[in-house]
Amino acid sequence: MAHDLLVDPDALREQVRDKYREVAVDPGGSFHFHTGRGLASRLGYEVGAVDALPDRAVESFAGVGNPFSLRRLAPGEKVVDVGSGAGFDSFIAAGQVGPSGGVAGIDMTAEMLAKSRQTAAALGLGHVQFREGLAEALPVEDAWADVVISNGVINLCADKQAVFAEILRVLRPGGRLQFADIANGRPVPAEALRDIDLWTG
Amino acid sequence: MLQDSGFTDVVIGEAVDTFSGAKGEDKARAFDVYGYAFMASRPPASPAGHGRR
Repeated sequence: MAHDLLVDPDALREQVRDKYREVAVDPGGSFHFHTGRGLASRLGYEVGAVDALPDRAVESFAGVGNPFSLRRLAPGEKVVDVGSGAGFDSFIAAGQVGPSGGVAGIDMTAEMLAKSRQTAAALGLGHVQFREGLAEALPVEDAWADVVISNGVINLCADKQAVFAEILRVLRPGGRLQFADIANGRPVPAEALRDIDLWTG
Repeated sequence: MLQDSGFTDVVIGEAVDTFSGAKGEDKARAFDVYGYAFMASRPPASPAGHGRR
């Protein structure tokens, strides 16, 4: 069903790509959000799981919450990470599901994909793979996933209905969506909602 | 929106002060923006033959 969008999806996507390209190549740069190990600690990730990861797996992490805080993933589960970035949440998921499970991280930013793939190879994680794609068109077959995770990504998508419909498609019946995102407690003025610059910072 | 999209059993976690101390804190404070964990389920499939005549 057609519905009005507040901003142009392609234009927003380009801004998001530019922002997160910076986070991939210069994770120590100045951003409006926290990044890296300090952020993971702030969000309550398991210390041992984070400490076990090399810096390159953590330094570009820019999530807004902890998708594993309401439920730990079970061994053997198949997981899709929507907007996997440099792979931090995918690597945490990989540790929880173990080698009998699988993780498919999906991202649209080439620099993030390159970084996550290099890290997975360096860690020897054969059950984690990263694919280029959009949240609104996930390169995943129907009903493949036991769990879909995401962190701070859906708020950056212009067409959230399309994203949720796509997540529903790739989840098996009875599968779970576990994601973290931001929400505002006070209304944002209509003109601000249509200001694309405010969506990314 | 989750329920409108067909998800069930929606659970929302505690608010996390994601932007505290970051450059974006002022904007976050202006609109009470916090991070949350969400969990929801795709409804189980109907039993085989359910709803068929």
